[in-house]
Amino acid sequence: MKAAPFAYVRPGRLDDVLGELAGGDGKVLAGGQSLVPVLAMRLGRPGTLVDITAVPELASVGPDQHGYRIGAAVRQRAVEHDPAARAVPLIGMAMPFVGHRELRSRGTVCGSLAHADPAAELPAVACCLQATVELAGPAGRRRLPAEEFVTGAMTTAACPEDVVVAVTFPHARPGEGYGFAEIARRHGDFALAGVVTRVRVGADGGVTEARLTGFGISDRAVTRDVTSLLAEHEDDLRPATAALAEDVVDTGGDTHGSTGYRRRLFGVLAARELSRALQRARDRKEGS
Amino acid sequence: MTTVEPRHDGLAGPAQPRDRVAADETVGITMTVNGTETTVTVPPRAHLGDVLREQLGLTGTHLGCEHGVCGMCTVLVDGEAARACLLFAVQCEGAEIVTVEGLGTPDDQHPLQQAFSAHHALQCGFCTPGMLMSSYDLLTTTPEVESEELPEQMSGVLCRCTGYRGILAAVDDVRQRYPDGVPGPRACGARTLVGRGSGGGTGAAAAEEDVPAAALAQEVRLPSGPPSAVVDVTSALGSPVERVWAVLDDFDLLARCLPGARLTEVLDGDRYRGRAVVALGPVKLSFDGLAQVVERDPAAHRLRFHAQGADAGGSATQADVVLAAEAGPDGGTVLTAHADVHLTGRVAQFGRALAGDVSRRLFEQFAASVDEAAETGSVTAPSRGAQLRLVAGTVRDTVRALVRRGFARVRQR
Repeated sequence: MKAAPFAYVRPGRLDDVLGELAGGDGKVLAGGQSLVPVLAMRLGRPGTLVDITAVPELASVGPDQHGYRIGAAVRQRAVEHDPAARAVPLIGMAMPFVGHRELRSRGTVCGSLAHADPAAELPAVACCLQATVELAGPAGRRRLPAEEFVTGAMTTAACPEDVVVAVTFPHARPGEGYGFAEIARRHGDFALAGVVTRVRVGADGGVTEARLTGFGISDRAVTRDVTSLLAEHEDDLRPATAALAEDVVDTGGDTHGSTGYRRRLFGVLAARELSRALQRARDRKEGS
Repeated sequence: MTTVEPRHDGLAGPAQPRDRVAADETVGITMTVNGTETTVTVPPRAHLGDVLREQLGLTGTHLGCEHGVCGMCTVLVDGEAARACLLFAVQCEGAEIVTVEGLGTPDDQHPLQQAFSAHHALQCGFCTPGMLMSSYDLLTTTPEVESEELPEQMSGVLCRCTGYRGILAAVDDVRQRYPDGVPGPRACGARTLVGRGSGGGTGAAAAEEDVPAAALAQEVRLPSGPPSAVVDVTSALGSPVERVWAVLDDFDLLARCLPGARLTEVLDGDRYRGRAVVALGPVKLSFDGLAQVVERDPAAHRLRFHAQGADAGGSATQADVVLAAEAGPDGGTVLTAHADVHLTGRVAQFGRALAGDVSRRLFEQFAASVDEAAETGSVTAPSRGAQLRLVAGTVRDTVRALVRRGFARVRQR
């Protein structure tokens, strides 16, 4: 399990990163926790690995006017331990499920997004929260909503000459509550099915907005507006989420679980985490 | 906007830029391994696990799946557990690496190692280094972890056998004893890590050029930890003490008395460069090394030197040697040799007992050659060490028996 030969470069400036990526034979290396296994199994043979960890701009993390912004070289564990990340509660809820400690110490948040594994937690959180992904490329910079950034299984809107610069998660707003759950065969493994929920309630405690993102259940994280579903079926969600599962769960079965089993997991988790998010939203409203 | 360094413990800042390294080129990477700064020459595709094992001889770090699933290769990188197989060495410029060898030594085990031993936390032992480094990271960064959380928190390293419950019990034991975090690694300090060029399938280029680089060490650095073997051999020689001292005082002649050794260069500062060959059955090691005399006392007939050597196969040895000659009965000489021998890399896998035995046998042959040189002014078979053979029984012999036998044989000469 050795990677095929590749050239390596670690530029100190973003422009130089883009210069190295020009031509399309390069691959961005940040933490490498998803990329290196691919290289080791010789599933990928990029000509050059462009290590972005020496670009100071990409190492920054913290709140700005749009939310909590995470640079492309920032490791998952740094975010896990950053008190400022508590402004986005879902990050703290999802992060313990991202790989293992030993992977989060090197893996990056933006790397998870760029790798776009359909069963990965962070792309699902980004889609549910409508996070914004910043890209730099030959034509300049652009910003994309997370749902537009992820275009399929391990496929994104970034072309080979682009590099993800940062992702910005909106801060939690008053009256919002969250839920997160996944079922995996072993803690830290990719989920058989998982859900992320965000619920917002009005002054009267009624549901004003509800979003649900499922992961591990299709070729990408799938997000649905479930405001009316939650408002109408608050007291008995299971039939409604079971019907939703028929709609969104379309992954084929494998040795670890059939499509039907994943639908059942999704339906149960969705009902549970929507209830949880709603309860938290109401608790939070009362507490504030 | 606040800035948080990507490295949680802040030991180092963002990486330094590095110019392009072509796929077929090698590059020197300097990192700190178990407290010692070391430079390795690697192609970009060499992962840290291979470099630790093949170039630095630190085979305590095991390799299982080599694609990040099993956790066998877990080491500390800048204070945090990471998979050595998912990191290329070129990414580790300036990094602080701690392997299981740095955690503790057989004589001074880290509390985690003691607990693993007490709870019999292994069956086959293959996952033990990964489990130790992972649990060290866990109890260092989150000492408040609950007992019930341990199965999940330790899930990053796979145990395949019956040792698993013992592993959890051991980690839980240490967790309770150190509520504020476990003590630091015990075996990190200045020690010599003498490597070899990249080989073993990690790259094509540097195999030839690096061996001389290792041999070009200019100073002898002894490890700080306890030696792998302590050798005390006393031999009765027939030659008078002044003639024996004359041999000890002539490093060229002295080197030729050491089985398999050959002096290749005399440097200033009482330093000598040489080569020593040791063959044991299928094992053949060729050490390129450096020796430095640190004490030369003609009145007491006492010579002390430090020596280090590196084999092209990733083995390394260092020794602190004291030779002393005293006038013995019947006009002869009693030659005592004391050596603290440190072994790293593949040669250390022999085990301490065998390493000690081999060293003792070498010294016995050495004493016989010194006697011959003292009588005749030359040594007949300078490379006889290359033919050194160990029989199984030898390994079980006690020091006392070896010394006695050494006495008897030399006296018969």
